[in-house]
Amino acid sequence: MELLVATAIGALTAGGVYLILRLRAFPVIIGLALLSYAVNVFIFSSGRLAINLPPILAKYGDASYTDPLPQALVLTAIVISFGMTAVLVMVALGSYLETGTDEVDIHPAGHDASNEDAAQ
Amino acid sequence: MERRGVGAQTREMTPLPPLAGVAWLMLMVATGAVVVMHRNRFRALVLIGIIGLMISSGFVYLSAPDLALTQISVETVTIMLLLLALHYLPKTTPRESSAGLRLRDGAIALASGVGVAALSYAFMLRDGSTISDYHLANSYKGGGGTNVVNVILVDFRGYDTYGEIIVLGIAGLIIYALMETLLKGPAGQRLRNTDYSRDRSRDRHPLMMVVATRVMMPIAVMVGVYIFLRGHNQPGGGFVAGLVISIALLMQYMASGFAWTQARKKIEYHAMIGWGVVIAGLTGAGAWLAGVPFLTSAFGYVHIPPIEEFELATAAIFDLGVFLTVLGAVMLMLYSLSRIARYSGESVNVDPMDYDPADRVTDTEKGGA
Repeated sequence: MELLVATAIGALTAGGVYLILRLRAFPVIIGLALLSYAVNVFIFSSGRLAINLPPILAKYGDASYTDPLPQALVLTAIVISFGMTAVLVMVALGSYLETGTDEVDIHPAGHDASNEDAAQ
Repeated sequence: MERRGVGAQTREMTPLPPLAGVAWLMLMVATGAVVVMHRNRFRALVLIGIIGLMISSGFVYLSAPDLALTQISVETVTIMLLLLALHYLPKTTPRESSAGLRLRDGAIALASGVGVAALSYAFMLRDGSTISDYHLANSYKGGGGTNVVNVILVDFRGYDTYGEIIVLGIAGLIIYALMETLLKGPAGQRLRNTDYSRDRSRDRHPLMMVVATRVMMPIAVMVGVYIFLRGHNQPGGGFVAGLVISIALLMQYMASGFAWTQARKKIEYHAMIGWGVVIAGLTGAGAWLAGVPFLTSAFGYVHIPPIEEFELATAAIFDLGVFLTVLGAVMLMLYSLSRIARYSGESVNVDPMDYDPADRVTDTEKGGA
């Protein structure tokens, strides 16, 4: 199981980093989404993996539980990364509507990159 | 100085059921497919949905029910948000980077992926020192709840959560402010002059969907309230409840359109964010009256004869603040994006659905047709 989780984190990170290095805004947003999945699972896995040991206290008897702290941190991280994605989407949308292109790099004045996208 | 490498492995591998292998395979294939097919943006979004679903089922299996609930509801809202945005962005990404550049980026990505995978694999098989035993031991005695994750959120690390809902509220307000400024500038004019009508469905508000979402609305709200109330002792809480209710509201927006739903909304989302933060802050400040530090929670057990004994905790009021802020922020974000849609000349529907069988065809209409 550990091997699977580790490779999944690795694949998500690799995919995320590759997409963040693209030139258009939308792949960058998708890449950041992948990277935030990877980071969330990474932090979660720092509590070590446990099966059928949810951190819900049992009333009777001594049960063992998984580490609740990383879970609490990841829970807020999931919600915050949604907020971050939403702000990024809005910034990307704004820059596309203002300039007519969703390229990430700012081109020097005179470079007309809007032709191809205006046709969309 | 003595050099210390990675210590010896101290933990056994957890067993691997075949179903987990299937989920892992789907996640890996979906991740690979997103990277290969990211030029087709709709397809990339669908694949992102698969990844999110696999991660939340992974959370269920690995003893994190709260995370699974949050992940799956955030996933729904994120995909809707990206779909709305994609309506205005180009639908495909052009091929621009040279092969060499792609190779370089691929090498960087591969190196970071292998590094992170090796790091997490190394620490997952080793024991570390943790402060969580304190949380587990004091959750019920000190925080009054058996769901340790929720007690950490609203009690042990309440300050942290308080900061986080403020950040989320600010993000919602930033999006609203950006949208307002955009629509006033040249982008607003461009939107007004762009014709989006050709990718508009003829059956935008289908009867089936309107009726189904109307029936599901009270059920979904009840599920939200239930998840909120049980949060302190069972998986759930303010974050998840806020997301569930916002999905219930979004279904109305999707089924009957923006303007129709907006006309029936009584509370401003800005106010909801504000109230959430104020309620959470006042609950925290209330602790001063009892002479204890900010955000210390109190709880007691009440017994009214016909009902079983239940718990009342100030943490629940704090959680209400979290709930309101999450709901307000999520709705304000999607409201802002939908407002752009209306600005770009989407028609405003008066009726909840395109074809309403309850409307009788009058004689004059018959004669006219």
